[in-house]
This record gives sequence, structure tokens and C-alpha cells, in this order.
Amino acid sequence: MTRPKVAFFDFSCCEGCQLQVANIGETLLDILNLVELVEFREVMSEKWSGRYTVTFAEGSINNEESAQKLRMLRDRSDILVAYGSCAATGGVIGMQNRISRDNLISTVYGDQWGGEETRTVRAIHQVVKVDYTLYGCPINPAEFLSLLKAILCGISWRASDNAVCVECKFNENVCMYDRGATCLGPITRGGCNSWCVNNGNVCYGCRGMVDNPNRAGAEDVLLTHGLKPELIAAKMEMYTGALEAGNVK
Amino acid sequence: MAVETVRINNSGYRVKHGLLRRITPLTEHEKLFEIMLPEGESLDHDPGQFVQVSLFGVGEAPISICSSPTKREAFEICVRQSGRVTTAIHKLHEGDIVGIRGPFGIGFPVLPLEGNDVLLVAGGLGIAPLRSLINYIIDNRRDFGKVDILLGCRDPESMLFSSEIGHWQKRIDLNFCCSVDHAAPEWAGNVGVITSLIPGVNLHPLKTFVVVCGPPVMYRFVIEELLKKGIPERQIFLSLERHMKCGLGKCGHCQIDNIYCCQDGPVFSYQKLKNIKGAI
Amino acid sequence: MHQALLSKRRLADFVSYLVSGHKLVAPVPLQDGHFKFDEVHSLDEISLKYIPTILPPKKYFMPQRSSLLRYDLSKIHEMEEIVELEQLVLFGVHTCDLAGIHCLNIVFSDHPKDPHYLARNNFITIIGLECNDYCDSSAGCAMLHTHLPKGGYDLFLTELSDSYYIHINTQKGEDMVDESSLFDDVTRAAEGELNLLRSRKRELFTSEVPIRYQDIPRLFEETFDSDVWSQLGEKCLSCGNCTAVCPTCFCFDIVDEPELDLSKGERLRVWDSCQNEAFATVAGGENFRRKRMDRQRHRFHRKFKYLMDRYGRLFCTGCGRCSRSCMAGINLKRTISALIEERG
Repeated sequence: MTRPKVAFFDFSCCEGCQLQVANIGETLLDILNLVELVEFREVMSEKWSGRYTVTFAEGSINNEESAQKLRMLRDRSDILVAYGSCAATGGVIGMQNRISRDNLISTVYGDQWGGEETRTVRAIHQVVKVDYTLYGCPINPAEFLSLLKAILCGISWRASDNAVCVECKFNENVCMYDRGATCLGPITRGGCNSWCVNNGNVCYGCRGMVDNPNRAGAEDVLLTHGLKPELIAAKMEMYTGALEAGNVK
Repeated sequence: MAVETVRINNSGYRVKHGLLRRITPLTEHEKLFEIMLPEGESLDHDPGQFVQVSLFGVGEAPISICSSPTKREAFEICVRQSGRVTTAIHKLHEGDIVGIRGPFGIGFPVLPLEGNDVLLVAGGLGIAPLRSLINYIIDNRRDFGKVDILLGCRDPESMLFSSEIGHWQKRIDLNFCCSVDHAAPEWAGNVGVITSLIPGVNLHPLKTFVVVCGPPVMYRFVIEELLKKGIPERQIFLSLERHMKCGLGKCGHCQIDNIYCCQDGPVFSYQKLKNIKGAI
Repeated sequence: MHQALLSKRRLADFVSYLVSGHKLVAPVPLQDGHFKFDEVHSLDEISLKYIPTILPPKKYFMPQRSSLLRYDLSKIHEMEEIVELEQLVLFGVHTCDLAGIHCLNIVFSDHPKDPHYLARNNFITIIGLECNDYCDSSAGCAMLHTHLPKGGYDLFLTELSDSYYIHINTQKGEDMVDESSLFDDVTRAAEGELNLLRSRKRELFTSEVPIRYQDIPRLFEETFDSDVWSQLGEKCLSCGNCTAVCPTCFCFDIVDEPELDLSKGERLRVWDSCQNEAFATVAGGENFRRKRMDRQRHRFHRKFKYLMDRYGRLFCTGCGRCSRSCMAGINLKRTISALIEERG
């Protein structure tokens, strides 16, 4: 049986999600028994000119050049996976959509600006059709494997729609609210095995909200914990700002 | 403090291997699977019961049995491609193996129906479980009184078991009537919701038992029509659709009020259900 | 022998005795006044004074994820239903949690039995520990009549001034007492002290909720359409905390997990929650408890009505975990009080 041809590509991102796979350890060898890695800039220099069975695309799309490359990948791929927060929801890069460009450039670069022209930030599904979505900043290796296995078996797969709290309770962590912190776990899509809270951090909502969050209820909870409405909104949209931009037709 | 390996016996999670003996496409979205258990073992089910069908690595799905228990050497299920498991089942071929648990639940009230007139009302995929009862009645025809079957479906193309229905229509000991929601002009049958067929049925309300099986939204309207005809509440039976995950009355997914559909149902009398909030 | 005394200075030895032959699990402290049941090796790791642990002991009877069967597609006729178990002693279980274990026992012994649960149960020895004081304002054990021991343990410890009064409930318990040789006969003074403690508890453990145990199911029946439910629905974030921490919530999902070679794998039982959005959704997409209000009402009715109808006892132990863990402030006792008030 020929192994499916798998490639990794990145757009605007930190490449940290690809690093999760590069660092997955011995499991990577098992993965390589199942798939043929044809392009993956972080671990190999070879290129592939044929069709991809599965393309994992990391990063958000914020200029026409990226959009065109993404469309080309879509055309050449049987299966396209939005890989990680930037690809799935725009990620933190999406924050720039709500800040004026001049303001943004002067804040970040002062008078040293000489970069590329960037446009509205979009998640990958806002530009092309996506077959699977893997959330997370970064993606969770166990969830990546779960998706990979589903793809290899040819069965459907959907990220969890349960809150982060579900797994956090499985892990019996002391609730961040009991530790005097505020946490977005109750309305954030789980599937990460409450990775951050297990390691003593709060949930920042990197996977975006569950499909039907009780946003008003969550805002009330955060208000009673002393957060200002502007801060609450900023926290809730830190990873999902791009989703307001609408789709590219 | 040694770790011991304990073998679990007689667990309800044990699956039997079902051989897919024949696969018949019915419509664009539904296929009929004929399944044989090892060594020709009979499933030994009642009409209206269901099985958990599983593919290892994919999962399980509850599917109602659509063949009559009078067909003993194999049983049939009609699978609509909708979720993860059913999509995977649709990709299987004859000769492949699926996992089978069950049969589960309390099916249609066959004994109370005997000696009485029977009105069977099916909507859409609801004809699948009812087919187990219809064929049981046909195989034991002398035990039942007048039999009326009403079938409603979206359009003629989505009608399941159409060739079998053709045989039912030809029988003079069954009254079969069908209506579709939409149809092309050349459709010769009824167009309209299934409830529109009920007033026209000629029945003796106190001697008639009704069994209804269809999508949840259909029940309230059908029951209203049946009550107008004077059918007693205790003589109306409904099969409820819920997500039975374990089939063993434990996992909680199919719970309504204090009942577990997988064990206490899926078939209930309207007399019981009318007081249960959230049932219909 | 049904009673014995264990001198306080011998408790450490008793713990050492338990550790020598078993995996011992007991409440241990976490951050900010929270506790969990975890493996311990000596008395000094154990919190003898603790409020209910984050997760109840159900995690040992019905783990968050547990194998129902293992499969190998290359030899499908040799599918195995096996569990790997070791003898486990649960030490320091409060009466509310004993009630929770009792509830789970009822459910999983009910027809059709669940041999997976029962196999685990066979490997667990339970040593209870009495609460001499009310733990906090979330607790409702007095309302639910779970503040006094009612069985369901092998041994039960009650702290007296200089010893522990031990109730020996099972042969397994008696064997531990005999084998460890650390116990004394009960004295008249100890009996007197125990009686005094129990009568003091009857005064101290009074329910703040004005309703009798046997009247609770009717309250829920009569308030099905109450506004209290929509108020809860507005607050609830559907995070599933209340059900995960509940000692009597046992709903689960069944999922397959293939290994990376795809030919072998496990079918797992994983905790699920009626508060999760998709819990009551069927294949066609219809969700029978679409609204958060419906789901919260379902949770409460399971505790106080539905399972009472089925098993003849309330499925709330008054441990207070759901109230403690709800960041939206949904409080069980306040909810019942609000229902009482609205009904009048």
C-alpha cells in the first residue's frame, strides 16, 4: 500500500505548531511508517511537485500572495487541514484587524518600518474550503495524532465541543477561579487536555470558544471577578479577532 | 501490590461478529445490510428492538432492526449515512464484518396487537423499524385483524423499500397508503403531510392499535389526528428516537425523565408518554 | 467483633500496615484549601481534616477513562475484555462519599449489571472517616441525611479525644484489625464519648433548607416550569464542572481509540456530562435538551426525582462539590430554597 503523501506549510505564524510535530519524539518514526512526508520545511529540504494527500497548513492569511499560495495548495491537496490557532481562527495575529495600520506599525516598529504590506488577517477557512480543523496555540500533539489516525482510516473527525473545564476536572486541577485568577476555560473549546492549567497557567482561550458559548454568562463571571468590560472583550477575542473579517468570496 | 489481569465475563459490551451477507442500496443516503451472526445464530429479537452496530476504531451506532424475527438465519438493518459511524458503515462491502451488540429495548407490543385491527404510521426512516413489524404481521397474518399502513416521506425518491412496498400494495389483506411532501407532476400518489391521510382511514377506534414511528417532529401532529379519530391513548404506541450509547440503561444519553429509552423503550404507549415532559 | 479502638499514636502504624500490603489512597492537600484522593505512603501525607476532595472517590470505581475492551483487527475473534487491577484501600472516606459510592453500586448492580464496575469494586477496600464538624457552607449532608455513617465501608473511624473509635463492618475489615494487631477493645469511656459526639452532631448538623428528605421529589415535580430554571440557564456556562465532581453522576460516552498502527486499539468508557451541549443530540441533529436551562433542570431532576423514582433514594449526597466548583455561582442549597420559596 502506498503511504499517503503528507506536507506541512506555513503562512503568518510562529511555526510553533509544526514544531510540535517535529518534537513529537519517537512517535514521529511511527508516523513515518504510515505516511510519506513529502514537504516539511522544519525537518527536510526536499520539495514535492505532485499531489498531496494531506496538507497541514499553519498560519493565517494576510496578503494576496499567501492567499494565492493557499489556493494552489487547496487545488493540489485531497485533504486540507487548518493547523493551529492562526489557521483555524486567525490566532493572535487577528488582533491587528481592529487596530489602525498606522497606529499598529508605529507601536511595533516606531520609525523602523520596512516590512511587507499586510492586509486583513483571515483564518484559512475564510479563504478556501477546509476539511479538518485542529485548534490550539500550539496544537496538542495527542489531538494531532487522533486527527491523523482518523484521516488515515478515512473517517470523519471533529474537534471537541466541550469546554476546557471538562478535561481540567478529569485532571483534578484546582480551579483557577479558586486560586484567585480568571480563566477562559469554561467557554473555551477543549481537546487540549487542559494543557495550560495542568502546568499552572490559566486558559487564554487559544482554541476559540465552544460552538455555542454562554458569552453573557461568562462576562458576568469575569465582571464579578473585577475585570473591566474592555479587558473581558480583549481576552475573549485575543485569538479569534480575524473571524469578524468575513470570508473571501 | 501486584497488578492483576481480570477477565470480564458476561459484559454487555461484548460484541458478536456480524457478517455483511448482502448490501442493497435503497436511496442516495440509505443502504440495507443483511447481517449473519457466527454459526447462523439467530439474533432472536422482537420487532422494534435495536442493535448497537460497531466498527472497531470508529465507534458504535444504535440502529433499529428492520427485518421480522420470523426471518431467523439473518437480520437486516437500514442505515442512513449521517454520522461518523454510519458513514463508515456505508463504505463497507459484502463479506466485511461489523460488531453487533443487542438486541436491546422493548419493541412493538406484538401480543396486544394480536386479534386487533392495526394501524401503522411511518414517517421517513421510521418505516425501517416498522418493517420488522409489518413483515411479522404478514408472516402471521391470521393473528391480526384489519391492517392499515400509512407512509409519509419527503419525496418519491427518498422512499425506502420501494419494491417491497410495491408487494404490500398488491396484497389485498393490507391497506397501504402513501403520501409525499413534494413530488414531480408525474407522481400519481398523494402529496401532503402524513397527517392528511389519517382522517380517511376507515377504522374501528376501540378495536384498533396504532403504532407510530418517525421523526420526533411528526408525533405531536399524528397523535392529535389519532385522538380525533377516537383511538384510546393506551392503544397508541410510539417509538422514540434518542441517542442510545450503551444500550444498558446506564450512560444517560437516552434518558427522558425517569426512563431510559434503550431499556424501557424505545417503544412506549402514548398513555405513558403524555405525562413525561420532554418525551414528545 | 464489631467495634475496636485505635490509639491516636498508633494511627501512623496502621497506615504503615495498610501501605505494606496495598496501594493506599487518601485525601492529600492541594493549593488554596483544596484536596484530592491520591496515593500515599505514610500518615504525614494524609489530610485527616479536609473538605470534600475536588473529585470524589468515584474516579477509582469508574475512572475518567477506562477500557471496555481491546481489539486487534488482525484477529477479531480474540477480542479481549480485561482490566488491570490492583488491591486498593481508600482511606478517610467521609459519609457523603460513602453515600455516593452506594449510589453508584446501586446503578451498576442494577439489571443489566456492569461487570467492569463490579470488578473494580471488588478490588477496593473502604475505610471511612467521620466528620465531627460541618465542613463548609456548601455542604448539605444534614438535608440529605448523609452526615452519619450508614454502612458501605469495611472499617469506619471516628475521632475521639485520644483514640479512634472503629466500626468494623465486614470480614475484610475484621481481618485488617486482627492482622495489624494495633487495636484495643472498646472502653466504656470511648462509648460514652462517641455517644456524646453523635448527639452533638445532631444539633450541629441541621439543614438550612426548610424541607424534609421525603418531600424533595415532590418539590421538583411541582416546580418543573419554575422561573428558577431559566435563571440557572442564564448563569450556566455548560462547563461540566458540576457533573464531573458529583459523586453520583455516572453518565459516560463510549469511544474507540486506535493505536497508531491502526490495527489495534481500545474501546473506552469516558465520563460524559448532561451539561455538554451535544449530550442529548441524535444522529439527525435534533438536540432534546438544547437549552442550558433544560440541561440544568435535567441534572437537578436526576439527583432529586428521576433516580429516586427508579432506585428509591435521592442521588444527591450533600457533599456540596457542585456548588463549590461552579464559577457561575449556581448553588444547590440556594436553588432548592428558591424552588421552595416560589412554590410557597
